[in-house]
Parts: sequence; structure tokens; C-alpha cells
Amino acid sequence: MVLARVRGTVVSTQKPQNMEGLRLLLLEKIDPVTLKGKGDFVVSIDSVGANAGEIVFFVTGSSARMTETTKGRPSDATIIAIVDTIEKDGNITYQKAAEQQ
Amino acid sequence: MNLARVRGTVVATKRSDAVASPRFLLVEECNQHGEGRGEYLVALDMIGAERGHLVLLTQGSSCRWTYATDDKPIDTLIVAIVDEMDQGGVYVWKQE
Repeated sequence: MVLARVRGTVVSTQKPQNMEGLRLLLLEKIDPVTLKGKGDFVVSIDSVGANAGEIVFFVTGSSARMTETTKGRPSDATIIAIVDTIEKDGNITYQKAAEQQ
Repeated sequence: MNLARVRGTVVATKRSDAVASPRFLLVEECNQHGEGRGEYLVALDMIGAERGHLVLLTQGSSCRWTYATDDKPIDTLIVAIVDEMDQGGVYVWKQE
């Protein structure tokens, strides 16, 4: 799974019927230590209710179809979790509550 | 399987993976000497890996071939902790 920050939303009206009602989010992959964006963007289907600014992780490939939201739908990138805390070598590099204050 | 070093943990309470009490670890892709490349992934841990361990990662749809991850949206899985590894008869890794 890949760590990314939600940067925005993607709207599309021309799409297959079974993609209707799905929320598309624009994600930027991040470095988990500096939390800086890598300039590498991907569009992902949201299955957890993520919002702009939050750090999430997403699955790619056929596993992206395994959530309740994306079962049987043509997703190859699905957000499966909103991150609360990242810890590296015993140090907290990201704490969701702290960042929002 | 690719080699990675366990660097830390990732905690998430709002999830859609439906995996029972999962443990997500922050892992860094590395070479055969355990030297990191600065590229990180979040991996589901099946076996109790700890910080510093050299582990084997299974990625993609093969991650779903365990009882715990059957039909679950998981694409990065720690499947083994490396005890020792040799390259041409010379140890390049030994678990301390």
C-alpha cells in the first residue's frame, strides 16, 4: 500500500454506468518521513470518506476491487485507510490530530 | 518477493479493508545488504515482524492467497522474516 495526501477531487460525467456514484480523489504520493509530496499524482476511488489534506494509503491492481465500494467496478487504485499516526524508528513523523490544530 | 526493512508502524482506525485486527508496518525497499533506497510502503504484517527486520514482501494479487487476506483489498504483505542470506557463498545478511 502507498502513502499519499488527498490534494483534491476529480469530477467526471462521461464514464461507465458502474462507476457512477463513486468518489474520485486526486492523491499525491508522499515521503513518510518529511511528509512532503513527491510530485507524483494518482486518481483513486475513495472507500473510507477521506477529505482534502488527510494522509491515506491506497491499494492498486486487482486488490483495488476488493472493497465493498469497488466490488465489480473497474478501479485499479482504491483508498482503504485514513492514517492517524506514522511512526519511524521510534519517532512520530505524523499525527493526524496534531496537524489539524 | 522483494526485500524490505521494517522502519516503523502506521496506525489507521478508519479503514475499509475488513481485515481482522491488522498490523500495518512502514517498510523501506532495500538491497540484499538491507540498505534502504528511500522508497517506503505500508505493508500488512502476518508474522510479527519488528523494526530493523529484513523481510520478504509479496505484492499484488498474490497477497490475497492467505486465510486472513482472502478477498481483502491488500496489495503489500510481509510473508517472511529473513534469518540469513548468502550471495555466492558469502553472507550478506544475518539476523542479529
